[in-house]
Amino acid sequence: MTKTINRRSLLRGMIGGATVSMGLPLLNLFLNENGNAYANGASIPTRFGTYFWGLGLTDTPAGGTRWVPGKTGFDYDITPELQAIAAFKNKVSVFSGFRAIPDTSPNLVHWSGHASILSGVAPGSSGRFEAPTLDTRVADAIGGTTRYKVLDIDASISRRPISYSTRTGTTFASPDQSPLALYQRLFGDGFQDPNSDNWAPDPTIMLRQSVLSAVTDQRQALMRSVGHEDQIKLEQYFTSLREMENQLAVQLQRPEPRDACVLPQSPEELARAGSVDVVNNNTRVMARLLAMGLACDQSRVFNFVHTGGTSETYVPGQSKIYHQITHDEPTDAQLGYQPETSKLAGLVMEGFGAFLEEMDAIKEADGTLLDNCLVFALSDTGYAKIHSLENIPMMLAGGASGRHKTGQHIHAPGESVTRVSLTAMQLAGAPVGEFGSGSMRTARPVTDVIA
Amino acid sequence: MEKSFSGKPSGSARSLALTAALAATLAGFPAAAQADWQRSYVIEWNEPAMYFGGDSGIEGPGSDCPQGVNPELDWVEVLVKAGYTREEAEWLRNPANPTRSPVHGQNQMAFRGKDRTNIYTNPESYPDPGLHPMTGSIAEGLNLDGNSDTGFVSPTGEAGIDNTFYQTLGCWKTYRGPERLSSGAMQFNDGMRNGSWTMVIVVSGEGDDPHNDDNVMVGFYMSQDNMVKGGDGSISPDYTYRIEPHAKYEGLFPARTLDGVIESREPVTAMLRDPGYTRDLELLEAQIKLKMKEDGSLRGYVGGYRPWRAVYDGWVNARGPVIESLTWVELPAVYYALKRSADYHPDGGQGQNTHISFALRVDALPAFVVTPDASEIATRIVSYKDQAPPLPESNGPSIGRSRIVGGIVIDPNAEQQAGPDAVILPPR
Amino acid sequence: MKIASISGLAAPLAFCLLASTPFSAPSLAADANNTAAEQSNNTLVVATRRLNEAQYRQSIADIFGDDILINARFEPERRERGLLALGNATLSLTAAGFEQFFNLSQDISAQALDAERRDAIMPCVPAANSSFDATCATRFISQYGELLFRRPLTQAELGARLATAATGTEQSGDFHTGLQLALASLLTAPEFLFRMERAEPDPEHVGQWRLDAHTRASRLSFLFWNSAPDAALLAAARNGELFTEQGLQTQVQRLSTSPRVEDGITAFLLDMMQIDGFDSMIKDASIYPKFNQLVADSARQQMVKTLVDLLVVRERDYREIFTSNDTFLNRPLAAVYQVPYTSTEEWAPYTFPDSAERSGIFSQVGFLSQYAHPGTSSPTLRGIKLHEIFLCEHTPEPPADVDFSAVRDSDAATSRERLLDHMSNPGCIVCHQRSDPPGLALEHFDGLGQMRKYENGQLIDVSADLFGNQFVGAQGLGRFLYHDPRASSCLVRNVYTYGTAQMPAGSQRAYINEQIAQFTENGHRLPTLFRQIASSPEFFHVVLPEGTQQDANQLAESVTAQ
Repeated sequence: MTKTINRRSLLRGMIGGATVSMGLPLLNLFLNENGNAYANGASIPTRFGTYFWGLGLTDTPAGGTRWVPGKTGFDYDITPELQAIAAFKNKVSVFSGFRAIPDTSPNLVHWSGHASILSGVAPGSSGRFEAPTLDTRVADAIGGTTRYKVLDIDASISRRPISYSTRTGTTFASPDQSPLALYQRLFGDGFQDPNSDNWAPDPTIMLRQSVLSAVTDQRQALMRSVGHEDQIKLEQYFTSLREMENQLAVQLQRPEPRDACVLPQSPEELARAGSVDVVNNNTRVMARLLAMGLACDQSRVFNFVHTGGTSETYVPGQSKIYHQITHDEPTDAQLGYQPETSKLAGLVMEGFGAFLEEMDAIKEADGTLLDNCLVFALSDTGYAKIHSLENIPMMLAGGASGRHKTGQHIHAPGESVTRVSLTAMQLAGAPVGEFGSGSMRTARPVTDVIA
Repeated sequence: MEKSFSGKPSGSARSLALTAALAATLAGFPAAAQADWQRSYVIEWNEPAMYFGGDSGIEGPGSDCPQGVNPELDWVEVLVKAGYTREEAEWLRNPANPTRSPVHGQNQMAFRGKDRTNIYTNPESYPDPGLHPMTGSIAEGLNLDGNSDTGFVSPTGEAGIDNTFYQTLGCWKTYRGPERLSSGAMQFNDGMRNGSWTMVIVVSGEGDDPHNDDNVMVGFYMSQDNMVKGGDGSISPDYTYRIEPHAKYEGLFPARTLDGVIESREPVTAMLRDPGYTRDLELLEAQIKLKMKEDGSLRGYVGGYRPWRAVYDGWVNARGPVIESLTWVELPAVYYALKRSADYHPDGGQGQNTHISFALRVDALPAFVVTPDASEIATRIVSYKDQAPPLPESNGPSIGRSRIVGGIVIDPNAEQQAGPDAVILPPR
Repeated sequence: MKIASISGLAAPLAFCLLASTPFSAPSLAADANNTAAEQSNNTLVVATRRLNEAQYRQSIADIFGDDILINARFEPERRERGLLALGNATLSLTAAGFEQFFNLSQDISAQALDAERRDAIMPCVPAANSSFDATCATRFISQYGELLFRRPLTQAELGARLATAATGTEQSGDFHTGLQLALASLLTAPEFLFRMERAEPDPEHVGQWRLDAHTRASRLSFLFWNSAPDAALLAAARNGELFTEQGLQTQVQRLSTSPRVEDGITAFLLDMMQIDGFDSMIKDASIYPKFNQLVADSARQQMVKTLVDLLVVRERDYREIFTSNDTFLNRPLAAVYQVPYTSTEEWAPYTFPDSAERSGIFSQVGFLSQYAHPGTSSPTLRGIKLHEIFLCEHTPEPPADVDFSAVRDSDAATSRERLLDHMSNPGCIVCHQRSDPPGLALEHFDGLGQMRKYENGQLIDVSADLFGNQFVGAQGLGRFLYHDPRASSCLVRNVYTYGTAQMPAGSQRAYINEQIAQFTENGHRLPTLFRQIASSPEFFHVVLPEGTQQDANQLAESVTAQ
C-alpha cells in the first residue's frame, strides 16, 4: 500500500508542476535486472538487426544434418557447422526444423524461404515480396528517433547490391556495399555526436507528454464518481500511464554519456573479390563500423547481408562457387553428407562469428552491445542441394536488453518459420500480435526464449 | 521410402468415407453413364525409373555402374582440348572473374566445337566424349514390346523389361540414386510438391470388384490445384483437385485390374508432364502398370517410347554450361549416347531410331478428383483436350525472364558477347 | 447542431490559451476542471468494461474509416463464468498494455489526420494551417470526443484537449499536428478504452438510480453492432429518447434490422461458444499430419459461418445448432472431413449425409479439435465444455491430490475403457459421471475431429448414459441437447449477461423465466431474443458497485433535494 501513496504523491507533483524539467525519482521497475540501465529509457536502447547468409546449412538426403544440435534447450551441443559461434553459444539461440509453407505459391528457389521469414508471405514471383519486411515494422517501433531509421549493409561483394528489406514489396533498400561507403554514411557529414555539448531534448517528446497530461487532468474528476472496484482498476490504469510518463521524462533528460562511442578511422578500400575469406573480412570490417554506429546511436535497426541467396562466394583457389557445389557435389558414401558443401557452410558461418565478435567487443554498461541487441540471423533455404523449404536455419543472437532468454536450441519440425519472425519482432519491442498469411499465419511466438 | 504415408487413415476407413462422400456428392446430379467404381489419386512423387544397384550412398559404384557415376571433369583441360590456350581456359574458369557474365566464363563454354561452333546446338561438331555405360542386368519398367527375351529383368524377377533410357543414362549423376534420392528426382519433385504443377489419376471400372475388373479406364490429367503439405511436411491425402483441361498433357489408358494391379489392355499414345527439363513426356506405345495398395495409395509405372532429341534439348535449354558443370557431363556425350541407343521408330525399322524406351515410376495418394467446373466427381475417363485453352505461344526456352538461345543466356546489353570470335582475355 | 452549444463556451477559453505559454497550459485546463466537475457529481460510474480487440478495431473503423491500420498486440482477455464479456469487466491495463494503446493512439491520429484523409474527417477548415483556430479545434474535438467517449465531452475534458492542441500547434507550427495530439489524448483516455457505465438519479423514482442515456446507447450499440454508438444513436441519447418506450423501440428496430447486426450477434456467439484459441492450437504432426494453421483457421471460420447462417441469416430455431447437418466447407476442411470439394469458390455450403454423423456444431472439427489433446481425443474435456458452453453448467477443477496414474498407465484400447479405469475412484466419479458420457458419444471423432470407427483395432462404442438419459453418437447427443430445456435457459442467461456484464441476480429469476418463455414462444430465434432483451427495462438495470451504496443514496438524496 505504501506504493499507492508514492504514486499519488508523484501524480500530484506531475499535475501541479511543469512537465519538462521535473527530476523524478526512478522507480525500480524501470531499471533492468542489473539496475544500471534503463529498460526502455534513453540511455541504452535495444537494437535490432537481421543478418542474412545464403545457401542455408547442410542437411543430408537421408534426413541427417551437419548443423542441428542433438540437444534441445540450454547448453546445446556445438555441431560442425556451428563451430564458428561456439564462443557465443550462450548468447545465441538456434532454431531448427521450421519450414516455409508456400500454400498455393510456387517454391521460388533462393527466394521463397527468406521472403516467407521476412515478410510472412510466400511471394508469387521472384524479385518481389508481398508484404513489408519485419525490419520495417521493428524500425517503426524503435527506430524513429535516430538519424537513420534503418541501416542497410551488403558485405557480399557481389556485382549487384543485395537487400531483402522492403516496405512496398517491389522497392528494396539500397545498401552500403563497402566499408568506406558505410563509414561515410555513419561518421561522415551529418554525424550526430551523442556526447556533444549541444544536446537538446527532443521536442516531440514534450508533445507526447501533453497527450498524457490531458488525460491525467481528468483523473480526479473521474475518480470521484467510481465505486471501489472500479477505482482499483482505474488506479492501475493511471499507474500504467504514470510509467509511460516516466519513460518520456527519462527521454527528456540528457542521456548518459556514451563512453563506447569513439569516432573510428576511415577504412581503406578493400580489394573486391567474392572469395569467402575476403567476404568474411569485409563482414568483420563492416560489422565493426556498424557496431560503432550503433554505439554512437546513429541508428537502432539494421539489415546485414553476408552473402546473397544464390551465393557466389568460393574458396580461394577453387574453380567452383559455393552455389554450384551445393547442387553438384555428391553425398559422400562414407561420410553421409556433402563434404565440400559442409566445409563452405562452416566458412560462411565464420562470417557470422566475426560479426558477433565485433558486436560483443563494444562495452555498454555492465554488458556489451550484443547484450542490448537482437540479431535475427537467417538464410534462404534448408538443404540447398534441392532448394528445400524445410529446416531453414535461423538464429537469434544477443540479449535484447534482457528480454531474450539466450543460449537455447529450439527444435520444432514442421512449424512455420514465421513463428520465429514473430518472436524476433516481439523481442525487439515491435507491437505485433500476429504475422504471416495462410498456413504461415501465426500468433504463437516461441515463448521459451522470451524472458 | 513410405515416410509420407505415416499416420494416414487406414485403407478401410478411407474407402468407407469415399463411398459416403460419393453418395453425397452424386445425389443431386442427373445420372450420366456412371462407372460402377471410381478411385482417384494425386501424383505425389514421380521420377524416371532408374534402378539403383549401389550398396550404399547415392552416387557410388554398384552392380549397375561399376565405376560409379561419371566423374567430375576438369573444365580447364576440356577447354584446352577444345582449342583454347591454357591462359584463356584458366581465366574463363576462375570464379574471381565475373562467372555469370555472358561475355566470359559460362557462356563461352558453348563454343568449343570445331571452329568454336556451339556444341549444344551442333553436338556433332564435337567428338563424342563418352558416358559410363550402365552394365547391370536389372531394370525397372514395363515389357513394352511383349517380348520376354529382350530387355532386362525386373527387381522382382519379371523378364523382358524395356528401359533403354536407363541403360543409356543410368550412370549419369543427375539420374542415379536410390528412390527419391537422386538429385534430379529431388529437384523436380520438390518443385512439383511445392506447386509447380499437379497431375492426378482417375481410375474407373464397370465391374463389381475393383480388384478384378476387365473393363477399366485410367486417366492422367493436369490440375491447377496445388498439393498441400500437412504438419509433418508430407503431402496430405484426400484433398480435392479439379481437372484442368490441357491441350497437351493428358493420358487415357484402357486397362484391366487383376488382384488390385491395374495393367494396360492395349498401348496408347500419351503425353504427360515430365518431371524434368524436357517438360513434355510424350510416350508412344504407352502402357501402365499400377498397384492399388492396401493403404489406399497407388504405385507403379507408366512406360513407352519417348523422343530422345527432346530429352537432349531439355538439358541444353536449361542452360548447357550450368547443366554441364552441375551434373558432370559434356552434353554432346548425352547426345551421342541417346542417338546411339534409341530403340524405336514410329514407322518401324527404317533408318535412325527417333525414340527410346522409358519408364516413369509413379507414387500417388488417394485424392478427390472433380470435373473442370468442380460440379461433380470425375468418373468418366474422357478427353478434355477440346475444352482446353490453346497453349500459349512459345517464345522459345527461357529461365525466369531470360531467354535461352543456343543453350546460353544472351544479355543483349553486354558490350561483348560470347561466341566463336569473342576476345577471351581482358586487355592488359 | 450538437457542437453549437459547446463551441460557444469554449471560444473564450481557447482565446486565453493562445496567449499562454505552452507549458503552463495544463494548469489552465485544471481551471476548466472546476467548472466541469458538477456534471460528474450527480452521476456514478457503476461499471468499467475494457474494450476488447474487436470492439476497439470496429470502433476505430466506424469513426475514422476501415482503412486505418491498427498494428498492435492486445493484452489477453479473461473468461469468467464462461464469458469474456464478464471477464473483461474485471480487467484493467498493465503498463505494457497502456504503452501499446498510447503508441496506437498516436499512430491512429496521425493516419486519421494525414493530408489525404484530413478533408473527409475534418468538420471545419481552419483559418490557417500554421496557427491555432480555436473554433475549428473545438468543433473537431467535440465531434470526435463524443464519438470516442460515447457521450459528449465535459467542458473540462474538452478544455484539456484544447490545451493540448494549442500547445501542439504552437510547438510544431502546424494546426493539424496540434489536433493529432488532442485526438491521441482522447484515444488514450480511460473513457475511450473502457466502457464507463454511468448511473444517475432516476427523476421518476426518488432515491433510485437509472443508467444514463449514453450508457443505454452503448449497451444497445455494443450488443447489436459490437461497436460504439453512431451519430443517430448518440442523438437519441442526447434527446432523452432512449428513456421513452417509443424512442427505445425505434432504436432497437433500427439497430437490429441493420446488416451490421451480424457483427453483433457474431461477437456474442464467438464469446458464448468460446470460438477462440485457434491461434495457439497444437497438434502432433506425426499423429495428425493433415493439421496445419490453415486447417485451424478454417475450422474456426466454419463454426462461425455455420452459426451465423443458421441463426442470423436463416433465423432458424436456436436448438438446431445441435442437430443441423448444414455447414460450409473450404478445400482444406473437405480434406479433413474426407469429402470432395465440389466448388470453385473459396467456401461453399455443404450438407453432411446422416452417415457422416456430423450433425450439431459440436461435431465440427473446430469444437472437436479444440477440446482434445495434441495427440488424442478427450471425452472428458469435450464433456466438460459441452456442459459449460451449451448448458451453463460448470465443472470444478479436479482435486489437487487426485491420482492420475491409473488413467495414464492404462493400456486399454479405447478412451472409454481408459476412463473406466478411474471410475473406481470415488473422488473422480462425482464429476466424471457427468462430464464423460457426452464426450464418449463423440468418440467417433479423433483428436483432430476426423471420423474413425476403430481405436487401436477395437470398435468404438459411442453410446452414453447421462443420469439415465441414454443416447448414441453425435446425433443422439444432439437430440438430447435439443430437448434439454437447460440449453434455452443457458442461451437467454448468456445474452443477458453478455449485454450487461452482470449475471442475472436471484431477484431477476422471474424476469429471466419470462424471457425464456417469450424466446420459446417466438420459435427460439436468436435475433428476436436480442431484440426482446434489449427492449426490456431489466437490460438497463442498475447494479450499484459494492461500497458505493451508502454514498450513492446520500448523493441521490442531496441531488434530488436541490
